[in-house]
Amino acid sequence: MPPAVIQLEKVRKSFAMPGGERVDVLDIDSFTVAPGEHLALEGQSGSGKSTLLNVISGITRPDAGRVFVDGIDLARLDEARRDRVRADKLGMVFQSFNLLPGFTALENVLVAMAFGSGRSDRARAIDLLGAVDLGHRLHHRPAELSTGQQQRVAVARALANRPRVVLADEPTASIDAAHQQQVIDLLRSTCTDHGVALVVVTHAPEVSAQFSRRLRLEDFNRAAAVHRH
Amino acid sequence: MNLLGIAWRNIRQRPLTSALTALSLALGVALVVATLVTGALVQQAFESGAGLGYNMIGGAKGSPLQLVLNTVYFISKPIENVGWDTYQEFLPAARRADGVDGKYAASTGVAVPTCMGDYYRSFRVVGTNADFFGRLTRGDGEPFRFAAGSNFRDDDFFAGVIGATVAETLGLEVGDPFSPTHGADDGKEHDPFKVVGILERTWTPIDRGVFVNMEGFYLQDGHAKPLEDGAEPEAVEAVAGHGPAPLPAAQREVTAILLETASLPGLPPELTAMGLRTAINEGREAQAALPVAEIRQLLDLFVRPLELVLLLVTAMVVLVSALGILISMVGSSLERSRDVAIMRALGARRGHVLATVLIEAVLLAVGGGVVGWVLGHGIVAAIGPWIAANAGVRAGFFSSAPEAEAFLVPFLVLLAIAAALLPALAAYRTDVSRWLQGPG
Repeated sequence: MPPAVIQLEKVRKSFAMPGGERVDVLDIDSFTVAPGEHLALEGQSGSGKSTLLNVISGITRPDAGRVFVDGIDLARLDEARRDRVRADKLGMVFQSFNLLPGFTALENVLVAMAFGSGRSDRARAIDLLGAVDLGHRLHHRPAELSTGQQQRVAVARALANRPRVVLADEPTASIDAAHQQQVIDLLRSTCTDHGVALVVVTHAPEVSAQFSRRLRLEDFNRAAAVHRH
Repeated sequence: MNLLGIAWRNIRQRPLTSALTALSLALGVALVVATLVTGALVQQAFESGAGLGYNMIGGAKGSPLQLVLNTVYFISKPIENVGWDTYQEFLPAARRADGVDGKYAASTGVAVPTCMGDYYRSFRVVGTNADFFGRLTRGDGEPFRFAAGSNFRDDDFFAGVIGATVAETLGLEVGDPFSPTHGADDGKEHDPFKVVGILERTWTPIDRGVFVNMEGFYLQDGHAKPLEDGAEPEAVEAVAGHGPAPLPAAQREVTAILLETASLPGLPPELTAMGLRTAINEGREAQAALPVAEIRQLLDLFVRPLELVLLLVTAMVVLVSALGILISMVGSSLERSRDVAIMRALGARRGHVLATVLIEAVLLAVGGGVVGWVLGHGIVAAIGPWIAANAGVRAGFFSSAPEAEAFLVPFLVLLAIAAALLPALAAYRTDVSRWLQGPG
């Protein structure tokens, strides 16, 4: 069995409240994502979804435990190296797309390339946008694109640096029901085409129902379970 | 796309704010450049005049600076006059009536007398002899050249040569008559002289001078030195065919004597000059001033400090303009925080976002600086004719103060970095999880 592209071991994370009290947010014994695997992570508000994504992407450091991304232990890296791993190994798709408003569709993809180890490959950026049917919208800014087109730019951007995993944080939360399915289809087909693992975080059961592997955060994050009860 | 491209895109994202920020900086830089260049031109004006083919000026005792300013730059009033016999002391035997060398003749190469006190329509009138344009040079070692006509002859008493600015301003041509006025613009009108030569432009104060034959100058009302009580006027006969009789020597005075010291065998020229200067200054009749030394002292004492004050004021303008960069960047910090968080989430390191903000500020500063540089030189070019007319130096778009201007770009870059440091550090510290947080 090939090594997991994401592996969490005994990860703990807590935050200090204004009163000084510490609140546990993550308490996960084990969590893995295999190469090319697609899975849905369900979780209610406050279940630690965002914190989990921040820990996996190296934005937040866990208090304890180990986080491996493509075999690299993030806990042993300083912030700059974690940033480099995030740029190279992970593709991010956000709930509100988070495109850079002053940049064109093409530039949004090129910006992501600027932070990776590889060179800024304009031809590849154009190909990626062409693959999501935006070849005719390369030089349009986000404000000039429809919601669906913006989300497709976000998907193309997530694949800019040939990541091993795409992390999609509530990718359907900001769009109408008619477009939700298109976004999920696009994510799945694109990740399949590129052989990239996909982790979709969602609170929508109709979305998670489409994935053969679906996990509820409350089931493997003991801190979330405590909050629920 | 690299960090430069990202910074440039950030600037274009806020076109109006960016343009206004750069413009305010450009105006400050334009002021600094115009001040620097004008200062350099003033210096050039003095220095070019200080090397007019002579290295010493003899004149009445008093302020050596006043003697230099009046003689070389036609500024200020003459101190007093010295007697004709004082001038004669610089002449060799062959040029003296008594056939004996003057006491300073051995150290003197060229001695040219000048008489001042008259005006022609706000331009100073200088009485002199043909040696002024025949034996002195125009400062760059080149002989004087005439755009029209030629030098006057010593026996043509009522002839004159005018500078290029005088000719242009007054529209005078060779053959035109002109009548100087005594003491001031509105003084008593003298006999007319005739323009026989118009000088090519020299970019020195000479361009603003009206030079007349001193023999004619002496014959005007009020120009003859009064005779002492009981003294009989010396009889001088007119030379046939050459107009009136010249003024007797006893009634002559000169305002200044332009001196080119001789190079004595075995002695360096500077030493000859110093020796002559000491000898003159130790006498009772006259003083000797070194134009270069006096002008350097004037520049050091007054012009440079004034220039420095002006520069400080304009530098303050630039500093205030640089605050515009800070204000513009702080103003857009909310918008920037979200963009920075997105870039950080995409893998940008803190150093990347810090550098992007600093590059953005440097681009604005350099852009504004280049526009300001062009604008500053444009201002100098626009007032060039006025500077040329009043200071007698060439002033155009490419007039420059190269040493000072060379510091401008590094100064602007440092200023921009200083101004952008605060917003750059804010970007550096941006909390990614806070700005991109979704529910859960």
